Amino acid sequence: MAQTDTRKKDDVLFVGIDLGTSRSSISAGNGKREWIESFVGWPKDFIALQVVGKPVLFGSEALQNRLSLDICRPLEHGVIKEGISRNDEAVKEIIRHLIELAGPASGQKIHAVVGVPADTLKVNKLAIRKAVTEFVHSLMVVTEPFAVAYGMNLLNNSMVIDIGAGTADFCIMHGSIPSEEDQKTVLTAGDYIDEQLFSYLSEKYPNSKFNKNMVRQFKEQYSFVRDTPDEIRVEIPVDGKPVMHDIKNEIRRACESILPALAETTAEMIARFDPEFQVKIKNNIVLAGGGSLIRGLREHLQDALKEYGPCKVSCVEDPLFAGSDGALKLAQDMPSKYWEPL
Amino acid sequence: MISAFFRKKELKVRQEILKGIYEENLRIIGKKKGALLRQRTFSPNRLLLILCIAAIVVLAGGNYLDAPLLAEKQTAGGTVMRPLPSSAELPNPSDFKAFITNADVSVSRTFGLGVKTIMIDAGHGGVDSGTRGKMGTAEKDIALDIAKRLKSRLDKYGRFHVVMTRSEDVTLPLNKRVELAREAKADLFVSIHLNYLPSKPINIIETYYFGPSADSKTQELAEQENAGSQYGLGEFKEIIEKLGQKLKLQESRELAYSIQKNLFVNMEKENGNAYNFGVKRAPFVVLLGAEVPAVLAEVSCLSNRQEEKQLNTEAHRENIAHDLEAGILDYINKGEAGYGADRYAEKR
Ligand SMILES: Nc1ncnc2c1ncn2[C@@H]1O[C@H](COP(=O)(O)OP(=O)(O)O)[C@@H](O)[C@H]1O
Ligand SMILES: [Mg+2]
Ligand SMILES: [Zn+2]
Repeated sequence: MAQTDTRKKDDVLFVGIDLGTSRSSISAGNGKREWIESFVGWPKDFIALQVVGKPVLFGSEALQNRLSLDICRPLEHGVIKEGISRNDEAVKEIIRHLIELAGPASGQKIHAVVGVPADTLKVNKLAIRKAVTEFVHSLMVVTEPFAVAYGMNLLNNSMVIDIGAGTADFCIMHGSIPSEEDQKTVLTAGDYIDEQLFSYLSEKYPNSKFNKNMVRQFKEQYSFVRDTPDEIRVEIPVDGKPVMHDIKNEIRRACESILPALAETTAEMIARFDPEFQVKIKNNIVLAGGGSLIRGLREHLQDALKEYGPCKVSCVEDPLFAGSDGALKLAQDMPSKYWEPL
Repeated sequence: MISAFFRKKELKVRQEILKGIYEENLRIIGKKKGALLRQRTFSPNRLLLILCIAAIVVLAGGNYLDAPLLAEKQTAGGTVMRPLPSSAELPNPSDFKAFITNADVSVSRTFGLGVKTIMIDAGHGGVDSGTRGKMGTAEKDIALDIAKRLKSRLDKYGRFHVVMTRSEDVTLPLNKRVELAREAKADLFVSIHLNYLPSKPINIIETYYFGPSADSKTQELAEQENAGSQYGLGEFKEIIEKLGQKLKLQESRELAYSIQKNLFVNMEKENGNAYNFGVKRAPFVVLLGAEVPAVLAEVSCLSNRQEEKQLNTEAHRENIAHDLEAGILDYINKGEAGYGADRYAEKR
């Protein structure tokens, strides 16, 4: 029975890992919760190594030193491109680093549940397992939105939409482990918004100097759809001098660019079920991932789906850790007989 | 109670789901996980390929089925190609690390004792001409010619392995030079360059070793000479600090003094406008590859008209090569004559 299994001896540390396209997090049974950006950088050459002083760097530290590094974002489009460049190795480094951050006691066995984008699981099941096996004693891989759903106890008649960077993942729960048909991935997510915003801004302000990173920061600070009373003005250098720019319209257009695909995919997936279930699912839609922080998104989706009857959309409280918390809960609930040594 | 009923139902659902996950994960690994998972880096495709090769080898009737064979790929032409780069063949960061953290680098080399491999680096090359004199003489050409002369002079001793970073007019990025020096395990590294001072009609001789520099002229020069690398001076602050602690830069300074002295004494005789700017420190990327000693010599000055003319004569270039040779040998011989650790003491 699950209850007794959760109280295992301390020689096992349960961890839930969310392997995201832009951010990865770990939640551990010892209470630790940590996250890093899913970038890995290796010094390009001997000089670079001396500049950065370490053989591998992660997240923002890697980005800051990007001139000296070979940067790899292994799950960029939700799929590990196996054999190409150093993606497999990068996934390994991320896992190794996250587990280090969780600080297992020496000699402690690690039982991990790893949540990955739905497409990754479809395409790279083995690759993911191989990347993780070196660092854990036992392992289960699940899809990211499923981990979120499990963590929030949304086991039946519900839908999770995880809007990440590279992908938005949809998952319908109906009381059993979701099949491939219950899950769908689209590429209109955070990165897509960034690209749109970048091109809108380049068009409107051709002489201003901004890069992808700045654009992403503008988005994360000001994202909204529909309307907001706020003014949105940011400093961007023009000929080396900071100048205020009005970017309100561009932010809005960029954020709204993902709405059609979101609404359509949601409606489409729900439509496969009996009308009775449709109503239940529609009243139990949860948004997760960094994209769920876009102001007005929840309301918009709710209104868009109301066309076909009542509907309730809510957001997870902690998008950064919702996935890893759910994965940890899965790990802790998993009967011990299922944890087979690798 | 309703809630009890729901709880029971929920528990059942939960158990179902947990079991489902377990089974799905078993499916992922094709049940026989033990066998498969151990094959660490093989994708199913590569595994298949290897199995095929193995089968062919077995069919060919041999008991040749051993690892080296599998590690090499046979091309159609029958030549053996190196296997695709695996992680093991990529530049191994830990080698670098070992180098950095190796505090007592080549103490025996400190005094020139084990100098076997000398690397000569002709500055610039290819699309990068370096500086150019008013008559059009390019730094890259003069540097290469002197480098070649120096090599054949040193080769005559028969006791050195003398290698050059480039022996033709090719573009060679600085990081590549650094790697070459490391690959060659150079015991001593001399980079040859020519100065240019537009504002003054003088001929400046100066020799550098790696280190921080406070003076802005030197910073500028370093920026110029580092142009082929993607690194800015700012990034060197840290390196310099690290190296300062780890490497015995005094060795490089000794070599620099020795070369500078020989260059200047002889140059003075030929060109009345020669100025001794002495030995300085500057963060030149190219000096990072060899452990120590490694120096960069600005052996002449292309902005000086008389000097540019002379550089176009073989005799003058041969003389400079000779001075460099003398500087290097002085350094090595002092070491071998058993100058002790007292040479470490600050004396200049
Ligand atoms: N406040 C915000 N508004 C809009 N987008 C955001 C916000 N905060 C983060 N994001 C975006 O969310 C994405 C990261 O979400 P996350 O769920 O961590 O992705 P993943 O799971 O794919 O790594 C990025 O594209 C990021 O820019
Ligand atoms: Mg995620
Ligand atoms: Zn030069």
